[in-house]
Amino acid sequence: MSEALEFAGAGTGGDARARFRQPMPDLLFRLGLGVVMLSMVLMLIGPWLAPYDIGRPSEEIGQPPPALAAVPGLLVDVVTGETHPSIHWFGTDDSGLDVFSRVLAAPRTDVVIAVGANVVSLVLGSLLGLLGGAGRPWMAGLVMRVSDLVQAFPVFITGMILVTLAGRSNTTIILTLALLYTPIYVRLTRAEVLTQRQRGFVDAARALGKSEAAIALRHVLPNALAPSLIQASVTIGFAILLTAGLSFVGAGVRPPTPEWGLMIAAGADQMVQGEWWPSLFPGLAISLTVFGYAAFGNGLERRYAA
Amino acid sequence: MPPDDPIALLSVRGLRVSYGGAPAVDGVDLDIATGEIVGLTGESGSGKSALGLALLGLTRAPGRILDGTVVLDGTDLLSLGESALRKRRGRDIGLIVQNPRASLSPLHPVGEQIGATLRAHRPMTQASAHQRAVGLLRTLGLNDPERRAHAYPHEISGGMAQRVLIAMALGSGPRLLVADEPTSGLDVTIQAQFLDDMWRSAREAGSAVLLITQDLGIIANYCDRVLVLQAGRIVGNAPTRAFFAAPADAYSRTVLALRHEAPPEPIADAEAPLLKVQDLSKIFPLRRERKTLQAVDHVSFTIRRGETLGLVGESGSGKTTVGRALLRLVEPDGGGVIFDGRSVTEASPTELRRLRRRMQVVFQDPFDALDPRWSVAEILAEGLEASAGPGRIAELLNLVDLPPDTAKRRPGALSAGAQQRVSIARAIAVEPALIVLDEPTSALTPLARVGVIRLLRDLQARLGMSYLFISHDLSTVEHLSHRVAVMYLGQIVELGTRAQIFGAPLHPYSKALLAAHLTPDPSHRRVDRAVVEALSGEIPSPIDLPRGCYLAGRCPVAQPACWETPQALVPVADGRLVRCAPAAERHRRFAA
Repeated sequence: MSEALEFAGAGTGGDARARFRQPMPDLLFRLGLGVVMLSMVLMLIGPWLAPYDIGRPSEEIGQPPPALAAVPGLLVDVVTGETHPSIHWFGTDDSGLDVFSRVLAAPRTDVVIAVGANVVSLVLGSLLGLLGGAGRPWMAGLVMRVSDLVQAFPVFITGMILVTLAGRSNTTIILTLALLYTPIYVRLTRAEVLTQRQRGFVDAARALGKSEAAIALRHVLPNALAPSLIQASVTIGFAILLTAGLSFVGAGVRPPTPEWGLMIAAGADQMVQGEWWPSLFPGLAISLTVFGYAAFGNGLERRYAA
Repeated sequence: MPPDDPIALLSVRGLRVSYGGAPAVDGVDLDIATGEIVGLTGESGSGKSALGLALLGLTRAPGRILDGTVVLDGTDLLSLGESALRKRRGRDIGLIVQNPRASLSPLHPVGEQIGATLRAHRPMTQASAHQRAVGLLRTLGLNDPERRAHAYPHEISGGMAQRVLIAMALGSGPRLLVADEPTSGLDVTIQAQFLDDMWRSAREAGSAVLLITQDLGIIANYCDRVLVLQAGRIVGNAPTRAFFAAPADAYSRTVLALRHEAPPEPIADAEAPLLKVQDLSKIFPLRRERKTLQAVDHVSFTIRRGETLGLVGESGSGKTTVGRALLRLVEPDGGGVIFDGRSVTEASPTELRRLRRRMQVVFQDPFDALDPRWSVAEILAEGLEASAGPGRIAELLNLVDLPPDTAKRRPGALSAGAQQRVSIARAIAVEPALIVLDEPTSALTPLARVGVIRLLRDLQARLGMSYLFISHDLSTVEHLSHRVAVMYLGQIVELGTRAQIFGAPLHPYSKALLAAHLTPDPSHRRVDRAVVEALSGEIPSPIDLPRGCYLAGRCPVAQPACWETPQALVPVADGRLVRCAPAAERHRRFAA
């Protein structure tokens, strides 16, 4: 009988109030989630969604996007299946390439690099962070000092130098960014490992005769991953910015790959002549993506921190 | 004593409060007479706090008072506007809540805060408010109240902060004081001091008190009448003595059921003890001050097979460190632990892991002790051989009285009591010879506590394990222990059988601890006894300890020599050990 009463007492208290109080962050979280999902879809099938060939120029060079007033009419035409000579939603650049198609195709480069780099550094960083928090003192010290060393260099300049030295391919960019981002995950994981190691279930596992290595991998690491996973979302956004930045200064992917940074760089010359569209739209795409990933990460943190 | 002819000071009729869903308070009628001290109890979630807040008009969204009246001195408080209500709050009704420090502003000295409360209800100058605040602190037994009044909340101890709150609540002489679990989280001796102070102040001022608590020991010792709340309704209302003689409701009957069960009898001295601890010591270095903290100071004891040794003491006494050092979960700095003939302290890492499996631990916080990502089945399987199938897990769940479908759930979906049962099941899974129970019932509700105590006793009878039962709660220790060791500041000060320690403690600290223990028995009220055993002041910092007896500064029978001479744990005639030369001497003369 006592147990029945015990169970009846469980699960009281509502979080209804907390949920009610913050409608705005939840909206941001959903927006962020939408952006993240869209970027993932484009990463997978972006080039095939593009209405024009992303590599072959057309005759129409430097054509501006349709006037805002004309957009609804054109949209209706597209939906109803009316044939139309050629709509370049974002205009064409000075080589005659359709900007809209290339903006859609670019995540295949930008997002793949950013996600790839973060997956590598997340895996590497968590394992090293586990060593840094639960390993022998000399190992932990070594891991943390190397992290300090890597973080002592300015990210952008180091990235530029490394990519230039190692050759400009997607793989080298991924590995370079992974190296630069690993210390973030090392630190986050280590801090959480230090907390989780104090938990009762760790001592309970010790009392059951488990080895320190088994406890670290089976109990401590899984419970210490949450902050890194949340951070990953924010870092992916910044990795996209960094990838585009490297390409912009000519230290990233090679032209004519559709890539947001390259597109901004290519369009920058025409800006002064009033051709704003080849640079503006990829720029907006970067802003929206970075914002979306950050909002998604913040939302995750708010949900799981409590 | 309550007045002979009670005139209702507070009269509540048909009060209903809802926090969405079923009403938290569902049609409560109650009366409190002038000067009466009424205990309000009930299981967690029964609506005690919701009722207390509603009486003060402090129900906050999403909570809502549906209907009812709360008449104090002829005025319906619920019909008053917020500003009129605020005037009466504090002047006519005082409130003391659970967390003393959170209730004080960290930016102002406590004396100023008491003064501000006084001035809010009665016009007086700042200087006279301060004078009155100091006076209140003095009547509440704070030593050096002038200096304390200028202290900020972080500079005073929890016990003192709690007394500042009483001063604020009682300062303007309210007719009614509502105290919601005012002592949870305090050590037993501090709790007793606080409740004594509150009881005395209320009696002197003629204030009525509504004391909300789950602890029936507190109610038995300080209340005139008991109200029991269940699912928002009053299910019991009786004078304290009648209530404890025959509780009418199921909840109180269950909680009090252990009273009539005989505690275990001492176990005969077998050939070799299962566990032998000799001069166990642990010193924690303090990084900042280049000082050390002697958490465990040459502790020695033995545990026989099938025996429970209770280890009692207040926070900071080092009892938890002793339990952890046995398994070398903290590495001891000195002394030896012999378990079943083998040395734990000298064991190699591999040998230690084998030895540890035969000595398990159950921790205080059951939620912390279970990996939140694992299911109960996975948790229980952790210690088992891979060959053990689901049958063993079902068997273990059955042993700890949990339904079989618990196996699939995660710890977060279980109540604290059920979590603690899972923790116990994990410990017994490897068939240990000794279980260190580190405050296993402290995080539980009284109801869950009764279940876990019964379970531990049954398991010991069935499986024959030994327990080291660490607790600050003397009732649970009394129900489970064959022998008891009392710890104070890292040292064992008295070690004897349960009957010896609970029947006639010798050491002044054991005496004080037992005097502070509030048994749920109104015929032995603490307030009726002349408490000579009481200690003065609070536990000193374990960093700068006196040269002689650690208790000398607080001891009511301290002699000048006590300050200088370190005390040794010496045996007395009836076989127990006492670390107090004067007490041992008195006992010897008594026996002769």
